[in-house]
Amino acid sequence: MGPTTFHQATPDQPLNPMVSTEKNVNLLPRIQPLDVLRAVALLGGLLVSIWLFGGFTNNKQLQLLHNPHGGNYVLYSMIVLLFQGKMLALISLVFGAGMVLYLNLENGKSAQFAADLFIKRQLWLLGFGLLNALLFLWTDDVLFHLAIMGILLFPFVRLSSRGLFIASIVATAIFCGKNYWKYADDKKAYNKYLAVTAYEKKLTRDSTARAQKTVQAKDRKNTAIVPKKDSLSKQQKADKQAWEGTLKNMKYDPKKDDGENKEMQTTSFGDLWSHLLPQTQNHEAQWTFKTGIWDIASMMFLGMALLKFGFFGNRFTRNQYLLFALAGLAAGLLLGWFRLYYNQVTVVDYKKYLLRYWLPYNFFFPLEKLFMAIGYASLVMVMTGLTRLAVIWKALASVGRLALTNYLLQSIICSLFFTGFGMGYFGKFPQYQLYFVVAEIWIVQIVFSVLWLRKFEYGPAEWLWRCLTCMKWMPIKKAATDTNQTVIPSLS
Amino acid sequence: MNITTTTYTENDTLPAEEILGASETTATTKETPRPVAKAERIQTIDVVRGFALLGILLMNIPGFGIDNSVHYDVIYGRHNTADYYTMAAIYSFFDGTMRGLFSMLFGAGMVLFTMNKKEVEGGATVAEYYYRRLLWLVLFGLINAYVLLWWGDILFFYGFLGMLLYPFRKAAPKWLVLLGLACFAIGHFKQQAGYVEFREKRIEYVKAVAAEKARVKLTEKQKAAKAEWEEIEKNQKPDAERVNRNVSKMRSGYTTVFAYFVDRNAGFETWLLYHGLWDMISMMFIGMALLRLGFFSNKLSTSTYGMALLIGYGVGIPIGWIFFSKGVANTNIGAYLDAYRVPHWALYDIRRVLLALGHASLIMLIYRSKIVPWFMKVMANVGQMAFTNYLVQSIICTLIFHGYGLDYYNRLKFHQLYYIVGGVWVLQMIYSYIWLRYFRFGPFEWLWRSLTYWKFQPMRLKVRTVE
Repeated sequence: MGPTTFHQATPDQPLNPMVSTEKNVNLLPRIQPLDVLRAVALLGGLLVSIWLFGGFTNNKQLQLLHNPHGGNYVLYSMIVLLFQGKMLALISLVFGAGMVLYLNLENGKSAQFAADLFIKRQLWLLGFGLLNALLFLWTDDVLFHLAIMGILLFPFVRLSSRGLFIASIVATAIFCGKNYWKYADDKKAYNKYLAVTAYEKKLTRDSTARAQKTVQAKDRKNTAIVPKKDSLSKQQKADKQAWEGTLKNMKYDPKKDDGENKEMQTTSFGDLWSHLLPQTQNHEAQWTFKTGIWDIASMMFLGMALLKFGFFGNRFTRNQYLLFALAGLAAGLLLGWFRLYYNQVTVVDYKKYLLRYWLPYNFFFPLEKLFMAIGYASLVMVMTGLTRLAVIWKALASVGRLALTNYLLQSIICSLFFTGFGMGYFGKFPQYQLYFVVAEIWIVQIVFSVLWLRKFEYGPAEWLWRCLTCMKWMPIKKAATDTNQTVIPSLS
Repeated sequence: MNITTTTYTENDTLPAEEILGASETTATTKETPRPVAKAERIQTIDVVRGFALLGILLMNIPGFGIDNSVHYDVIYGRHNTADYYTMAAIYSFFDGTMRGLFSMLFGAGMVLFTMNKKEVEGGATVAEYYYRRLLWLVLFGLINAYVLLWWGDILFFYGFLGMLLYPFRKAAPKWLVLLGLACFAIGHFKQQAGYVEFREKRIEYVKAVAAEKARVKLTEKQKAAKAEWEEIEKNQKPDAERVNRNVSKMRSGYTTVFAYFVDRNAGFETWLLYHGLWDMISMMFIGMALLRLGFFSNKLSTSTYGMALLIGYGVGIPIGWIFFSKGVANTNIGAYLDAYRVPHWALYDIRRVLLALGHASLIMLIYRSKIVPWFMKVMANVGQMAFTNYLVQSIICTLIFHGYGLDYYNRLKFHQLYYIVGGVWVLQMIYSYIWLRYFRFGPFEWLWRSLTYWKFQPMRLKVRTVE
């Protein structure tokens, strides 16, 4: 890793006496690719988040997968291919890169100081995440996870870029393995179901005594306990229901959304809160434990590796970046297309799929995300080099610098717009109209960010975050003389 | 409790002392941060830790050796049995307190670890070692749960929760106590919310029954509520099918038990880390506070320890008895819900803190009185090897009870389990004492250290070193 990497961006170490601000200012590029990338992830992420915010439910997506034709489907598949999962990947990637900058290990003694601040800052981020989930009612909040994962991966920050890259691959592989594991469980559940139904048939057909004997012998492997009576045991019933439930969850049910719509349109904040709490807890506990850790870790490691490798500091030529972008996006889209196709096969007839394929449809999803993230990152490196479009990148960089503010703002706006506590538009828009809402929010956020940063150094939430981390009031107003000084990875 | 003695600051020279205990008796070189050298250990911390470590098996042994339904059988059965008396003693006097002491000492150890390390220019920071250490602890926890197959492992949780403690290592004792209390409060709030929700079902049922008696026709909702409660009441009794299944799984070969434990462990880990962390982290904060007040390092006056013992046991034991006899040993769930708006579990933490303080003070006083110095020495050895001893408890007990071992699962009576506890205790005291005559720290402590510093640590006592 070249030391130059570090000087091209300013670590967020306001109190750090060892960091000479002067030096950093001189070396500061005008546009930060990391800020732009963060903005892309933040704004692009809303295209997927809006499904959950606005009521384009899983059920409705299943309807499209069962009948994959028409403009609605094309729109859906484009979002799936280009954005689903990739924006979280990018956010994690930028976060990982930001960690390395923030901790700036080459700073000798002050590294301890930075580490101290870093942990505090992560804990406050955890607080912001809980606020976002529990007060702004965003069940799919990721601040919580970024906070935890940042702490968890903190001890790895000293690894070389190669070590980090390997770590990223390992995490990706485990993520793939987790997807496979889930699939293997489904297979097991299906086999248990077959055993139980066979047993059931025999019970009704044969004389009971004989039936019990033969099946007991035959099925001892598959069913835990065969009771000495003519009905199914609790375990057998549970086995049967488990598989039937899995299948049911893959069917489109026109009535299924009514209940959810009603719940989301309740005008009482308390009712809404209790309705959403299980979802939030599921996302914060189960999802994190099962896949979230590997999902986010793979990308954070990648971000750390890329930063140390100098990827964000023009280590490569423009053509090389272009090549990476094309290759990454092509590979990612190809995998994505396969995933989408096999997802359809899966939901149409899961039994058939189980018998035919030994890998689940989403097995390569982690790789797809990895490729797409590299593709997007490279693309941003190319595009930010185009000076003719500088206005756009500047605007986007502003959004990226206010990432925390904007992220929380998205939750506030969408909760107020869609839930019954606010305007109650949940479930009332068809898919394409939801994207108009997204576009509106984009405009608001871009304009807001640009205007805000004319007056202020930091976004309001970023400022609050800094104050809390350092436990004292920090300046927020822009210093009059120096306009270029602050390029702070705000959601880093 | 009047606290008269000094509090630790960063500059205090405190002997090396780490999380689950490990001893160091010779100086190491200064170039890189490593287990800090020490001339004299705080022996009392080791002693208390030794007691806590052995005591924790009192609470864990049912988890190792019997199906949960045994609790039901004992409580609902005749009361003048050895089983019932044993259970009463364990629940009113020990339940949660040993875990509590252990958590306290873990919190204390975290403070000591960060205090004793000197920053070295250019090298990895103390914070990095701290977090590396905890990540390894998480891994050890996973091994304990998924390889040794002990579902009640706590190392996993301690590893994660320790990561939250770091920014609080320099906080004043006052704030640490407040933080601990806040964590208790959150835990209680969650518990109470769960109880209220559960009680709601009973209330609906009672209403429905009353309506029925008054010959009012029940609404569909009332009927459902009635049926739901009846189902709950029926489920109070252990389900024979579930019990048989559990027992037969536990008596199987390694692969079956492993497959059985994968889901079980994952569920437990997810739930406890997200919903149950308050139990542990509250005690860790209080332990940090107590360390800084000098409680664990034998720095308070004898009268203070005496007072703590008096209050801890004097108030804690009666509460513990009420907690057991009214709460745990209650056999009529319906009547209980009708009678109490707040369950006896609300007493759990206050009782736990008091008893844990009582236990610790008693140990301190015995230590000071020098009645049984040799025993204190042995217990200090047990405490120094706490990490090893904790894992060895898993190894021994799983090999005694699981099917791939001696296959004793669910074959012993409740009180008979405690013969095994006694055996393990004696064994651990003996090998800890012998081991530490030749080595600086326990084998797993050595491994953990070597992994943390990513370098083989000297292990042999005296001149010869393993390096």
